[in-house]
Amino acid sequence: MIQAFQSILQNTFDRLFAHANLYLPSILAALVILLVTWVVALCVRWVLLRAMKATVIDNFLSDTGLGPMLGRVGRTPGARLVASAVYGFIVVLGWLIALDVFNTRLTTQIIEGTVFLFPKLVTAGIILLAGFWLARYFGRSMLVWACNEELPHPRRWASAVRVCVSFISIVVAAQTLNFAPSVFLAAFVILAGGAALAGSLAIGLGSREPVRNYLTQKKDAEQEHEKAVWSHL
Amino acid sequence: MNIRFAQQEVEAAVGKLQSADIVIGIPSYNNAKTIGHVVRAAHAGILKYFPQFTGVIVNSDGGSSDGTPQAVLESKVEDSHILLLNTPLKPVNRLTFPYHGIPGKGSAFRLVFQLAAALNAKACAVVDADLRSITPEWFDLLIRPVLLHGYDFVTPYYHRHKYDGTITNSIIYPLTRTLYGKRIRQPIGGDFGMSSGLVRRYLARNDWETEVARFGIDIWMTTIAVAEGFRVCQSFLGAKLHDAKDPGSDLSAMFVQVLGSLFSLMEEYEPVWRRTKVSEPIDLFGFRYDVGLDPIPVNLERMLRNFRQGAQELGEIWEQALQPDTLRGIQALVAAAKSAEAQSTFHLSDELWVRIVYDFAVAFHHKPIERGHLLRSFTPLYIGRVGSFVIETKDMFADDFEERMEALCRTFERNRDYLKAAWSRHTIPDPASAPKHAPTSKEISQEVQP
Repeated sequence: MIQAFQSILQNTFDRLFAHANLYLPSILAALVILLVTWVVALCVRWVLLRAMKATVIDNFLSDTGLGPMLGRVGRTPGARLVASAVYGFIVVLGWLIALDVFNTRLTTQIIEGTVFLFPKLVTAGIILLAGFWLARYFGRSMLVWACNEELPHPRRWASAVRVCVSFISIVVAAQTLNFAPSVFLAAFVILAGGAALAGSLAIGLGSREPVRNYLTQKKDAEQEHEKAVWSHL
Repeated sequence: MNIRFAQQEVEAAVGKLQSADIVIGIPSYNNAKTIGHVVRAAHAGILKYFPQFTGVIVNSDGGSSDGTPQAVLESKVEDSHILLLNTPLKPVNRLTFPYHGIPGKGSAFRLVFQLAAALNAKACAVVDADLRSITPEWFDLLIRPVLLHGYDFVTPYYHRHKYDGTITNSIIYPLTRTLYGKRIRQPIGGDFGMSSGLVRRYLARNDWETEVARFGIDIWMTTIAVAEGFRVCQSFLGAKLHDAKDPGSDLSAMFVQVLGSLFSLMEEYEPVWRRTKVSEPIDLFGFRYDVGLDPIPVNLERMLRNFRQGAQELGEIWEQALQPDTLRGIQALVAAAKSAEAQSTFHLSDELWVRIVYDFAVAFHHKPIERGHLLRSFTPLYIGRVGSFVIETKDMFADDFEERMEALCRTFERNRDYLKAAWSRHTIPDPASAPKHAPTSKEISQEVQP
């Protein structure tokens, strides 16, 4: 009995030791790789932040309003953005190399999947970024316009525009990643169709007369405006 | 100056005329009802006051569909009756062309300037096409200082109703005067005289495809003239009568273009305005007299409503443009704009207004948000200020009103250092420091008063 117990324990420890022998060097190597790449990423970011001016990117971020949206304002938002991107890239690269050390089927699949998905992820990320930027831009345009035109509830109009544009960008990004494309597409079609139908019904049934009056007044005002506008300065 | 024109008919007209001493430009768009009078005044003005010079009247049209070009060519001037002259006169040529490019007043002016340069004109004048009070004397007053006294830029000086030219009175005049040190009362009057040197300087610039192509042209012309040291004067033209409208209606695009042009030029001429310490009056030609003016109706209730709505809805933009103190001042006014007596008590002080203008100029420079949004979001504040000014000046006569304007200008000048400091300081107001509630009026008065 005791002998059997000893044997089981012995076998267990042997297997553990064998596994440790097999994986510990790999784990240590992976940790070293992670540590080194992290240090390298930190150094590269530090150098980029100090050496790079990125004036073109700064101007682009500033002109487009992307800087504040990304939370990057201040003296060199462009350099910070580039430095962060490079830092992130090196860290992810470190993780992939570290995983590759194990050389198993699972890690190989993860690495292949990541490499295969990377361009699509970047594309989807850019689409989302551009979409959110556009949503913010059009939302603000709507907000200011509605306010200057004295429409009721300008913020609700602006929010509706933001949601619509953001949703479109999410649909396109999902399509790029081939992630539940039919679900997103169907949701989008239902949303857009529903909005169009609701708008049509509202205008067609409930607001015919007010809309006609409004459009007539607007047209008259515009004609008057075109005639006289140069002399108001 | 070798100028190539996009239109063959312009090239042909220049080839036929060869040269002219005076070019008068009239930009137009659907002004058939009024342009005939302006053309007759220009024609008579050249014949009467400059008989020894050859003149050309150029109508630069934006594609009118109401027969404006025909009205230009067909309007008649009975020389001997109007001018009381029997001496032979040089003929005055009239041309009318559609301009190409971005639709707007600036593009129309560009064609006029190109023609003036191609014809080697000694002087050029531009006037609006919808003026009802224009007379032949206007052209004497706009051109003579250039032709005979060596000035490069003649700006108009009118009598205007106190509610007319509200962008000029609220922002453009005080700010131009503060920045460049010249007291030009109507920097965007629209009726100007120019020397050939200044016309060539305008044409040499490469920013014609910006706001300058539209309503930004007037402040652009004035700013370049004063900032680059051209000799500038004013001429008293009497009353400016035109189809004035409620200053609270349909002005957003115009406002954005004028302000965009002004703020852009502030960036270009920063070294110039940083050197400015005081402002000085400039020469004023013409015999001054008082005239009766058309009253301009204003909708005060609508103005205050627009201000209120802006203050309630545009916080997310304003908090990125305005300093926290300025924003607090505005929020304190919202309650005042809501009160039942608002139409007689609402008051946006000069100090606060000046800070608002300066903060927006600085924000335009540092671009914490897109410039179009920034400038458009300024409109409710401007409307609020106009409303406040209307309430304050409703019982004032012209002289009192000018004194009030002078006080506003002094406030702008007194706060010049605030602008300089904020312009240099590369910080964007932290939204976290923006007020979350409207402070009491006592708090505001303590913060915004000097």
